[in-house]
Amino acid sequence: MKRLLVLVALAVIGVTLLYGIGKMPPMDSRASPDKTHVVPRYLGHGEEEAGAKNIITGVILNYRGYDTMGEVSVIFSALCAVIAILDREKKGRSRSGVDASRVRTSLIVTTVVRFSLPVVMLFAVYTMLHGEPSPGGGFQGGAIVGASIILFTIVFGLAVSTKRIPPGARVPMESVNMLGFLSMGFIGLAFGVQFLTYILPGLGVAAAETVRKLMLDVIELGIGIGGGIIFISIVFSMIREDRYELQQDVP
Amino acid sequence: MNFSRMFHNLNYVVSVLLFLIGLYAVTVKPNLIKKLIGLNIMETSVFLFIVSIGMVESGQAPIVTEGVKTSQMVNPIPQALILTGIVVAVSTTAVALSLCLRLHERYGTLNSDEILASITDVSQLGRPWEEF
Repeated sequence: MKRLLVLVALAVIGVTLLYGIGKMPPMDSRASPDKTHVVPRYLGHGEEEAGAKNIITGVILNYRGYDTMGEVSVIFSALCAVIAILDREKKGRSRSGVDASRVRTSLIVTTVVRFSLPVVMLFAVYTMLHGEPSPGGGFQGGAIVGASIILFTIVFGLAVSTKRIPPGARVPMESVNMLGFLSMGFIGLAFGVQFLTYILPGLGVAAAETVRKLMLDVIELGIGIGGGIIFISIVFSMIREDRYELQQDVP
Repeated sequence: MNFSRMFHNLNYVVSVLLFLIGLYAVTVKPNLIKKLIGLNIMETSVFLFIVSIGMVESGQAPIVTEGVKTSQMVNPIPQALILTGIVVAVSTTAVALSLCLRLHERYGTLNSDEILASITDVSQLGRPWEEF
């Protein structure tokens, strides 16, 4: 009965949405309203105005910098919420199911992870640092870093992972993305221009250009490293098992 | 309705279908993890929809390079917006999953109907925040 009601409601919603979509302009036309107002300016002047060859990076960090700062604060507050709900791991008592299990992890899995992890890390660093003139950027690089460490943790267990990435180094790094963004924003205020302005007055043209590149790189790196560490921390506090009564003996 | 245009805008139609699949999972499935998966499918359908809006016929990535005219580039704004959207989706999923962990710890099940049935009296809930 409930399922039937839901299906009727879904049919109504679907027909409404399809009706709306039938009236939309062709998908790939250059004349559709989304490409006529501000986009030509972004595409034509994005490089000298935003300071990035990749227009998307320019839009994210410069034209819509506030938006990205809000996003960075969203992921940071997600970490805060997860830790408030699940608690952090206690010192020296962090085990996951892999550590508690008597069955050893397959040799094939550990070997493949051992060999592929450095390559994945290298790719992550490339994505982070080369995101300005090519596809990529801070968030993407951070996600790859986080994913590789999470893979390592799933295969080798939380005890090994916390030994490699000690909480003393990880916990302070969690706020790097927020702090990097805010500090770069306040540099603009200190020079007497608006918040999140990258072109500082009082310097020469060439020097201002270099400083802008440097500031964009700092923000990009901060977003990447901070985002990756936040993903790692969320997963670490989710997969630890020391909250439960362990049935097995711990090796 | 203009069916030939709708066939041309196939991405939009597929995103509507994905949205409906996700909504079905969220409303009908009793398992909380399956509800979360449905929520993620809905988010993905919106991402597909918005990124498809920015598409251009035989378009190039919006990166300034030699030999690529700006009129050939796709719209960068939807891509930037969706980058934000993906991060927000990950954040909400993380918080929801940790709430699921807590629920499973307390009730021993992730079936939302069973959880609701086991709460017959609201005053039974006590003061869970004092456990921490």
